[in-house]
Amino acid sequence: MYGAPPRRQFLALGVLVIAGFVLPYLLPDYFLYIGNVLMTYLVLAIGLDLLLGWTGQFAFAHVAFYGLGIYGTALLHMRLGIPFVFGMPIAAAGAALIGLAIALPATRLRTVYLALATFAFAECAQWVFRTWDSVTRGPDGLRMSAASVFGFSVGNDREAMPVIAVITALVLAATFYLVRSKLGRAFCAIRDSEHVAAASGIDVRRVKVLAFVISAFYAGIAGGMYTLFQSYVHPDGLGVWTLVLLLTMVVVGGSGSIGGMVLGVLLIGILPEVLRAAPRGLLVWQEFAYGLILILAIMFMPRGIWGLFTKSRSA
Amino acid sequence: MSFFSLNGVTMRFGGLVALNRFSMDVEQGSIHALIGPNGAGKSTVFNCVSRFCQPASGEIVLDGRQLLGEPAHRIAGLGVARTFQNIEQLHQMTVLENVLVGLHSRVAGYVPFLPGSARRNAEGAAIREADEILERLGLQSFRDTYAGQLDFGRQKMLDVARALAARPRLLLLDEPAAGLRNREISFIDGVLLDLARKQGITIVLVEHVMQLVMSVADRVTVLNFGEKIAEGAPAEIRANPKVVEAYLGVEAAHA
Repeated sequence: MYGAPPRRQFLALGVLVIAGFVLPYLLPDYFLYIGNVLMTYLVLAIGLDLLLGWTGQFAFAHVAFYGLGIYGTALLHMRLGIPFVFGMPIAAAGAALIGLAIALPATRLRTVYLALATFAFAECAQWVFRTWDSVTRGPDGLRMSAASVFGFSVGNDREAMPVIAVITALVLAATFYLVRSKLGRAFCAIRDSEHVAAASGIDVRRVKVLAFVISAFYAGIAGGMYTLFQSYVHPDGLGVWTLVLLLTMVVVGGSGSIGGMVLGVLLIGILPEVLRAAPRGLLVWQEFAYGLILILAIMFMPRGIWGLFTKSRSA
Repeated sequence: MSFFSLNGVTMRFGGLVALNRFSMDVEQGSIHALIGPNGAGKSTVFNCVSRFCQPASGEIVLDGRQLLGEPAHRIAGLGVARTFQNIEQLHQMTVLENVLVGLHSRVAGYVPFLPGSARRNAEGAAIREADEILERLGLQSFRDTYAGQLDFGRQKMLDVARALAARPRLLLLDEPAAGLRNREISFIDGVLLDLARKQGITIVLVEHVMQLVMSVADRVTVLNFGEKIAEGAPAEIRANPKVVEAYLGVEAAHA
């Protein structure tokens, strides 16, 4: 992509922010909760897609950086009294820094080896969250105090939604510029052919590392968003299941596109709420269903649902 | 001292000697063909220049500068661009995006978050230049087509367009005419002569299509099993018995 982002993209962001401020007065709490969850997942999915769909790196450590964002933001506030507006960027920067430390060795690996190495890191991170009792409260999970945003206490879905909508809009705006920049094109070039990229003057390794760092930063931001409307975090929520959920969103929506992420997050994010209405016996099959959807999507719609609506990218 | 030279380059893959103390001198602004049977080491020469391969010994010098000390991504900035034998396209990017990637080493700054006017102008200038290159190579009407959807001949032209975007002083073309029809080959013929004669770009051409080699090349170097077996003007090469035996065959000698 190239040139300035089209105006309609920014109009959509305006609508998102206005909705974030208005909907809390109109909708019941439960819908606001779902809205907050979906926006958080959107930031997570876009961050993962930058690495997976745009740069073509099969890295699976995303949930670990999400966890770092959650625990980081919450603990900075609870232990050191650092308010959210500083705590979240610090935690996200911390996630990005650890992302850098992981990326330096990981970018020497490719394909399945990269996938395995990053997956192992994610498992280690979850193990740390579960066992570092004195900091994370270990397997009991961490009960978080209400966040403080510009002096206002934000502890429920109603209070959180405007803040979450603004953060989501900022992340989206940054992404619109990123994917249309020289760096965004370098990501795509590496995905399509590392040889062509290098021969064109792209420092392949450095750009891969940048993609890792930016992706981890997005996950850290999403972690900060989580602390605004959730009061409790448990290490069990930061494992393989969340990764599968995210991957399903990315693949079903259409990897390598922002529109695809919006679609994927809406469809896959709302699915459990639909299933909740189903008889109890069906709920057991939920994880199975996601795995199946993921496999079917990879087989029959490699460019996701978004790819069906846009010009096909053959070959 | 010639503009571009390889001196005693030896490249081994395991026990296989792909290039054995290979030397070659290329004059500035000339079209220098590199021919030989499959597996002779022609693409390996390019891969050493591109810094995808690290030769065991020898040196590669461009305009007085040693290239073997440089990493792969610095080569484009030093004025060397190349195409690829098996079209390695950025197939999920559009034709224009492909050329913009080719411009990479000439657009300053990665920072995408400042929509300031200086950045926009740099980006705008890059897009204008990419459009000019597409116009010149007859790809303008495919500007927004995905590269993977182009027909074979146009993918080959796009490969050249992307390489030209780097505004190279030395252009390495790896079989640009392979698999093309006669009409397309004569188009490439014209493009190459224009680049060398009018724009002064030095071209090293790896090619099996002798019709193209004989009509455009100023000099021809022949490789066989990693060793240079002949070098000279196209007419001399065609008459050289060693070359005829190793590569061209008896038919071609009479053609």
